[in-house]
Amino acid sequence: MHTDARTLENGSVIQGDLCIVGAGAAGISIAREWANSPLNVVLLEGGGFDLEPAMQDLYRGEIVGQPYFPLEAARLHFFGGTTGHWAGYCSTYDPIDFETRPWVPHSGWPIRREDLDPFYARAQPILDLGPYEYDAEYWVKRDRDLEPFPLDPSKVWTKMWQFSPPTRFGTKYRDAIVNARNVHLYTHANVCEVEANEGLSSVDGLRVRMFDGKEHRVKARCYVLACCSIQNARLLLASNRRASAGLGNAHDIVGRYFMEHLEIPSGELVLAKPQSTKTKMYEIDYGVTKARAELALSAQVQKEHGILNGTASLERGVLGEQVKSTFQFLPPELLKATMAWEKGGKVGPSPLSASSPPAATAVQQAAPRIFHLMTRQEQAPNPNSRVMLSTEKDAMGMPRPKLDWQLTELDKRSIRTYYKVLGQEMGRTGLGRVQLRDWLLSDDRTWPSFISGGWHHMGTTRMHADPKQGVVDANCRVHGIGNLYVAGAAVYPTAGAANPTLTLVALSLRLSDYLRTKLA
Amino acid sequence: MTLDRRRFLQLAATGMVAGLTTSACARNTSEDAIALGKPALVEMLGPERAREIGAQYRAAVPTGNTAANLRDAISSSQHRQFPWIRNRSIEEQIRDDFAAGRTVVVSGWVLSETEARQCALYSLSV
Repeated sequence: MHTDARTLENGSVIQGDLCIVGAGAAGISIAREWANSPLNVVLLEGGGFDLEPAMQDLYRGEIVGQPYFPLEAARLHFFGGTTGHWAGYCSTYDPIDFETRPWVPHSGWPIRREDLDPFYARAQPILDLGPYEYDAEYWVKRDRDLEPFPLDPSKVWTKMWQFSPPTRFGTKYRDAIVNARNVHLYTHANVCEVEANEGLSSVDGLRVRMFDGKEHRVKARCYVLACCSIQNARLLLASNRRASAGLGNAHDIVGRYFMEHLEIPSGELVLAKPQSTKTKMYEIDYGVTKARAELALSAQVQKEHGILNGTASLERGVLGEQVKSTFQFLPPELLKATMAWEKGGKVGPSPLSASSPPAATAVQQAAPRIFHLMTRQEQAPNPNSRVMLSTEKDAMGMPRPKLDWQLTELDKRSIRTYYKVLGQEMGRTGLGRVQLRDWLLSDDRTWPSFISGGWHHMGTTRMHADPKQGVVDANCRVHGIGNLYVAGAAVYPTAGAANPTLTLVALSLRLSDYLRTKLA
Repeated sequence: MTLDRRRFLQLAATGMVAGLTTSACARNTSEDAIALGKPALVEMLGPERAREIGAQYRAAVPTGNTAANLRDAISSSQHRQFPWIRNRSIEEQIRDDFAAGRTVVVSGWVLSETEARQCALYSLSV
């Protein structure tokens, strides 16, 4: 079922067993699981079924600290959420990502990689991926042209990625959600407050507001916040009627530990014998390639050098040319043009292809010698990297978010150390030589102007068994509040090296299973 | 044997000087002489970059960066790990450097000590 919340009379009460706030990858993944079950699910989406500038503007925010992409362009505020413009890169988090690493302050998940494995397997088809196989050998057996570099895996290993088409949840799952007899989707239903009981031990309801001032209440047995790291934190912080610091924020953690993946051109690889070195395994022909590898730093080296987890991907190029970081490659106007092109039936060349670097269009050239090395690295969990409330309010009267993205010396030292290790391995094996980019040679506190994330918002309501160190527990329940849960990358205690979508869908499925036991 | 500087550098460029000056290290095969005078990086990165790397290395290591000293350093390091092995090639030596972590970063390039010295020598010769 679907209702546009704007058509409801002022003061309406919406009721269900489970209420999911946000219809992006996390929210829709959970709602699908409950379709046609005996329980009633309320799925609230702030936007409609398409991009609306006024709705999108609700995501605008203040940026302090490291320069960041405009927040209203980094997340999409309509049914399907940010899957409306994601690129489809998927890989699993590594076992070490879940461990407590003494050299990484605030690291450690209360769950292990094995706990997520069955959910990763279930997430694969949701994202239109291939089999749950991230072992390089599996892919090598299926294509004799795929050949990993003969590097020492105890130093640099072959991490596989799979590519979603990319799945647009808003398109692919709209009918399934709208036609499910027990799932009621409300669009244009922006939650402006989570109302807790007097003892702050449970949520009594949600307040939903319209542009015209109308308000509705939503009442359910359980509530799941699934509206992305920045918006989840913003909503909890703004729900401060009974808890002055915000809901679930007794220990001042909500909004903290905001993390991104550092995606930035960091080096060059020059092959010694390009004619005899197979590189197909590491290259991508976007939209065609099903799986490819990146050069990943081993757990052993991370431990030895006390550094973070990261990978390097290869892009063909020439020495000395300018290479754009992720933020530079896809400015907001290009993002909008691409979405318009998709919506218009993909007539003519994609705006993205017109702006593609030579590397992306040169995959078919024979025997390339030079590759740009693009970093994809976790950032260290940092309590000073955070989302706060701005003094400015949006059109709904909600305080806008204020993002203070902060990096640490460990972040930069890790990238530099990785490229030195990679350079040594390339030299030892005679494969080639690695050059570090200039920005990496300066001190650890200085970041270049083109420092970039991957539009991957993580943290802000981190998972930890101890309420003093995390907002949610291992089951994604907000500490101290019996019926409030958080889904999505907001709960990640550390960011891993891989893009977050596959893991957030897996975690959402895990949460969904847990809620079944609670609501049965 | 005496050589003026110009003649030495000419010979170094063609590798001939290896046979003239490294008797103490007994590294005088013609293949190595050529390798010593022309680093593999020239082919990989081009002569300009190899020269630039060499110049950067000499600037960073101002003492002992004469051609003779560089040659001695390369030759002596050839026998540092396995002094009884007399016929390790430069290529093997470079790989050993990388394996043992005997690397330097010059102009951003992660290089073995040996090849950095080779580039320094090369930059003096051309």
